[in-house]
Amino acid sequence: MAFLDNSGDIILDAVLTDTGRMRLAKGDGSFKITQFALGDDEIDYGLYDANHTSGSAYYDLQVLQLPVLEAFTDNAAGLKSKLITVSNNNLLYLPVIQLNEIWNGNQTARHGDGVFMVAVDETTEKKFLPGDHLVDYGENLNQSARYIRLDQGLDTTAFSPQMALPADLEETQYIVEIDNRFGEIYSWDSHERASISFIDDDNIATYYLSLGANNRFVMENEVKLADSATQVCDGPRGTILQFKIKSSLELNDSTQLFTELGGDNLTVTDIGGTSTYYFLDTFVKVQGATTGYRADIPVRFIKLKSD
Amino acid sequence: MATVYKNFNGSDVVNTRTLLHEAIPVTGSIVSGTYGGNGVVLGSEPHIKKYAHGMFESVFDYPFLSSSANHIFDITAGYSSVSELSGATNTQNAKKIAVYNQMAQVLAGYDHAGNIRRFDEDGNLASGTKLDEVFFINFSRLLTKDEIKKGTFQLDLGVDAAFSQNTTVMTEVINITDASGSNGYYVNSPAGEYGILYATNSAGPDILKSHNSFPVGLIYYQAGIAVLSASVFNDNVQGGIINDDSGSCALYGLEGLPVGFQEFTGSTISATADGIRNRVKNIQFDNTTELNSAIHFCRVNHNEYNYSANPTYLTGSKIKVKGNNRKNLPVSYITSVGLYSADRELLAVAKLSEPLKKDPTMELTLKVRLDY
Repeated sequence: MAFLDNSGDIILDAVLTDTGRMRLAKGDGSFKITQFALGDDEIDYGLYDANHTSGSAYYDLQVLQLPVLEAFTDNAAGLKSKLITVSNNNLLYLPVIQLNEIWNGNQTARHGDGVFMVAVDETTEKKFLPGDHLVDYGENLNQSARYIRLDQGLDTTAFSPQMALPADLEETQYIVEIDNRFGEIYSWDSHERASISFIDDDNIATYYLSLGANNRFVMENEVKLADSATQVCDGPRGTILQFKIKSSLELNDSTQLFTELGGDNLTVTDIGGTSTYYFLDTFVKVQGATTGYRADIPVRFIKLKSD
Repeated sequence: MATVYKNFNGSDVVNTRTLLHEAIPVTGSIVSGTYGGNGVVLGSEPHIKKYAHGMFESVFDYPFLSSSANHIFDITAGYSSVSELSGATNTQNAKKIAVYNQMAQVLAGYDHAGNIRRFDEDGNLASGTKLDEVFFINFSRLLTKDEIKKGTFQLDLGVDAAFSQNTTVMTEVINITDASGSNGYYVNSPAGEYGILYATNSAGPDILKSHNSFPVGLIYYQAGIAVLSASVFNDNVQGGIINDDSGSCALYGLEGLPVGFQEFTGSTISATADGIRNRVKNIQFDNTTELNSAIHFCRVNHNEYNYSANPTYLTGSKIKVKGNNRKNLPVSYITSVGLYSADRELLAVAKLSEPLKKDPTMELTLKVRLDY
């Protein structure tokens, strides 16, 4: 996308997204705009200089000069970072959503390659001991205790974790997006399959997981003590999102998507030493529906190619 | 409670309808000169696409084999089965009648008995002069968009008697317009509204017989089709509008006296189309695009959207723009507006041309217009 001309009046460049056009074409009434949100994807707040020696008029000079890209029509690419409404103007801290990879040993840790590695079939699963190799099972979920966990809260030592997170900053609903061709979301204990809210034109499945309604996925963080061994938020804590990824049938019984979208020459350490695997890298995107904070979780699906 | 999405209420969305007009000049040189002239046989110009069926030919603004070429109009001709020109021995007689009937059934419709109506000169279908020998200019939708703007159509035709492939056929010019179209159009066509085309003298001596203005055709605004009477090429003796002193036009370089549109009987549709095209000096009109818009007023109150979930907004969990002082006002910068469905699927995106500052001292209304 090109930059927008910013030499004159402020203009708005508006487009329908691909999903918007798809819904419009369906003609089933699903194209109905009911709400809006504001975004600031192009803004680097690191350029905001609250200590500029020339005064407050210069604090955001560099920010305001940032060029803005034309609108993306891909619904998944637009408005990744959103503005938030909070009635209290005196906040100095905002909660974040972070991967917790230190809970219960390495039960929620990423693989050494920096991704959550998911074995897509039983043959591949048998090449790994989950605890030792940090590989998640994508077919027989209940054979592995590993899962993905995200913690929400204030990551600061300015407040004790024993203090309650202000109610208006507690995340009560998470939006999880995963490519539906690759996998789907299950509860951390493998007992419940999450319900898909919708699948867009790019095969991205969206799940809404709420506190109260989806207790196997979203729960209060009951640990209120400072505990750097199991907690990633040093300050007041909100909710936890935890889930597993079940590989799709397509990945389970075929290598087509691996060869189209991934590769076939990944060497991974397993119980036999090392083997070669098909691999496919993607992201699972998690966003707080209330606070807007977003975390992208790197996921790699693997399938045994040769010992 | 912190929120990211704000619902529109009933007064935040307004639907409007706007008509946009563009001036479309089709200079005659593109149609008859640029790719033709004395060195090229009429009809073999590279911007003219002909078809094996021979029912019409297409005119492009550039050699049509190029991907840069745009289709600008088709041209064809025909006569009704009751026309004086109709005759079983004519070249392509059946096709000429078929072309006329097809256009007539689409544009003029059927009478109470299910018979195809003939084109009528004055819009009064019950009586009056019928247009039985006509040629058609079918403009592409690329040019006309939703419709031709009423009262803007103009066609200049060269009506010199002698044939040539240079501009000498255009020293005598008639000007054909829908002069009264803006307030005097008809709605008794199944193809939408149409106006009467009138011919007046444009360049040269007294070209038109007896008086200055003749109805010579119909312009169908929504269909984007001009139906023109063959009379524009005929002199008074041959039933046309041209002064006898000027004489009928030779549409092709045939030997003998020019006989105007009567030459059509012995030639193909395609050859006649070439002859007509060779005399097009200028075509222009305004098109119309009907824009239906939904304007979404995104109202941002003073206490809304002052914080950001942008990863660069925080260091750890601390807000950078506060400068370590919680009493400093929060500030954010808007670059995008997302319009969402009830299930929070992003349906439309609007981008600001530059970041827009937002803090608790200001309220904004961002007006996002979506055109359909």
